[in-house]
Amino acid sequence: MISLDRASLRYGPILGLSPTTFELPDGGGITGLLGPNGAGKSSLLQLISGLLPPSGGDVKVFGEAPFRNPAVLARLGLVPEGDRLPTGLRADRWLRMMGELSGLSGEPLKASMARALAIVGMADRAYLTFARMSKGMRQRIRLAQALLHEPQLLILDEPFNGLDPEARLTLMDLLRRLAEGGVRVLVSSHILGEVAQLTDRILLLFRGRLLAEGSVGEIRQLLDRHPVELRLTGEPQELARWAVEQPELAALRMEEGAIVVSVRSPRDILPRLQRAAAGGQLPLRALDPLDLNLDAVFQYLTKDHA
Amino acid sequence: MPIYAPTLPPAPDLTQGHPPVLVLMRFDLARLWRQKIGRFFGFAFLLVLIVKLAVIYVKYLLDTNVALRPMQDFARTVLAHGADFQADLLNPTSYLLWFLVALVGGGLVARDTLYRVRPLMYAHPVAPKDYLIAKLGFASALPFAVLLPFVLLPWAMSLGVAGIHGPVWPTAPLRLLPALVLISVLMGALAVGASSMAATPRAGVGWVLGLVLGLSALAGMVHGLTGIRAVDALNPILLAESWPQLFVGVDHPLMGWAPALLGTAFHIGLWTFVAAKRTLPSEAVI
Repeated sequence: MISLDRASLRYGPILGLSPTTFELPDGGGITGLLGPNGAGKSSLLQLISGLLPPSGGDVKVFGEAPFRNPAVLARLGLVPEGDRLPTGLRADRWLRMMGELSGLSGEPLKASMARALAIVGMADRAYLTFARMSKGMRQRIRLAQALLHEPQLLILDEPFNGLDPEARLTLMDLLRRLAEGGVRVLVSSHILGEVAQLTDRILLLFRGRLLAEGSVGEIRQLLDRHPVELRLTGEPQELARWAVEQPELAALRMEEGAIVVSVRSPRDILPRLQRAAAGGQLPLRALDPLDLNLDAVFQYLTKDHA
Repeated sequence: MPIYAPTLPPAPDLTQGHPPVLVLMRFDLARLWRQKIGRFFGFAFLLVLIVKLAVIYVKYLLDTNVALRPMQDFARTVLAHGADFQADLLNPTSYLLWFLVALVGGGLVARDTLYRVRPLMYAHPVAPKDYLIAKLGFASALPFAVLLPFVLLPWAMSLGVAGIHGPVWPTAPLRLLPALVLISVLMGALAVGASSMAATPRAGVGWVLGLVLGLSALAGMVHGLTGIRAVDALNPILLAESWPQLFVGVDHPLMGWAPALLGTAFHIGLWTFVAAKRTLPSEAVI
């Protein structure tokens, strides 16, 4: 669906996105575009959504270059960052214009508006002006405009900014349902927790470079230089005695009622640990991986890159 | 409010819609209509139009009514006649029209900049040239629509009451309509160019007024200092007032054909270029 081949973007002398290569397959699913502010997320989204041509390399969406390509633009929906909408304008009038710009009119436009508003749960409040809407409601309307023409690719730039927890969960639920319905959703965020809640598949950007692509687990496995940290809760001395005999052990730290071990190749050591615990040779009560989450992966990758 | 699971109906037909230029122009028209500023300007221009029509009737009476013969000499000194009268039909309170263009046109692009609407539009099948044509078209159509009755109604009334020998020449529309087109495009280009440089609609109004009045003052100063009349071509107000005079052939127009042509081409070209540059997708970043 999306493929970039050494695509880069320059803003004059400033390199917004270094030559980047990746592919996203056809079909539904959510991909998180993760990175701190200034990482190049918006630049990447601008390339994919056809707002800017690449300064170098190729960008293909649905097999074609998206820049000023109506055939591609008609199949993607964009929800840009920000909450600025014409305050005095009624949402339904704004939606109608956006639908018409997508090529809809008449009854199909009415049907599309009704459908999109129902999906985002705003069917009975679209007559309100933007000034009378909450931030969450405005975000839903922005999402509705991107859904009017039933796109196959939905791009959202920082969609959770400023939303309260309830609105955030509602939006996440909505995105999951859209992805289950066959829409490929690309969500950018600089907040790890949001992306971790939403999807396991991420593209990690930092300082204009694509650092990693894949699931959190896959990416974590690539980080050989950073052994996985496991907390083993039980009898610390017995656990430590067993741990130091393991060839994968890189470090060991004693805690009260537990030990924390850093191990290379967790796939090798975990079956042995499981067998020892099941066989009663090891007084293990709990096992917690400490750095298999998105935060840890992000920290490791960005630290290495810096 | 429940969230409904999306279904997968057949994709909608996206080929039945109107061209983006028309969609954008209609949206701006609807927005202008809802703003209701047309009430004040509509009243003001209607008043001017009624006065113009009354003058035509008075001129007709002066020419045909024997009882009014003694007043003819006085009327000739007070009222414009001949080519000057034809040209004057298109100059209904020039500053008021510029003010209307500034108020409406100043916000056309600036509002989209403020609310970041352009990235959304360009993420639809809307090319930057569609956007530019729509904005220029709407900003030009506004003065055209305001001034059109000032050409057609006096002409129709003159023909109706006095036939081909009435105060308004039978061929006046043929001369005034090209002038009207030039004036409208000049006003539209300047308004859109100025609006594209502003970050808010209010700033856009300021930009338009600042450019119009500033250029007028500048041209007047340079003219006064150097005595070169051609620099008046920088003055958009004088340009707009010159074109009807040139087309109907008044004896002493405000400026000649060459300065008027060069000045108008300069303004239209410059402000269209500025607007085109300022509304590129790269200026409409997410």
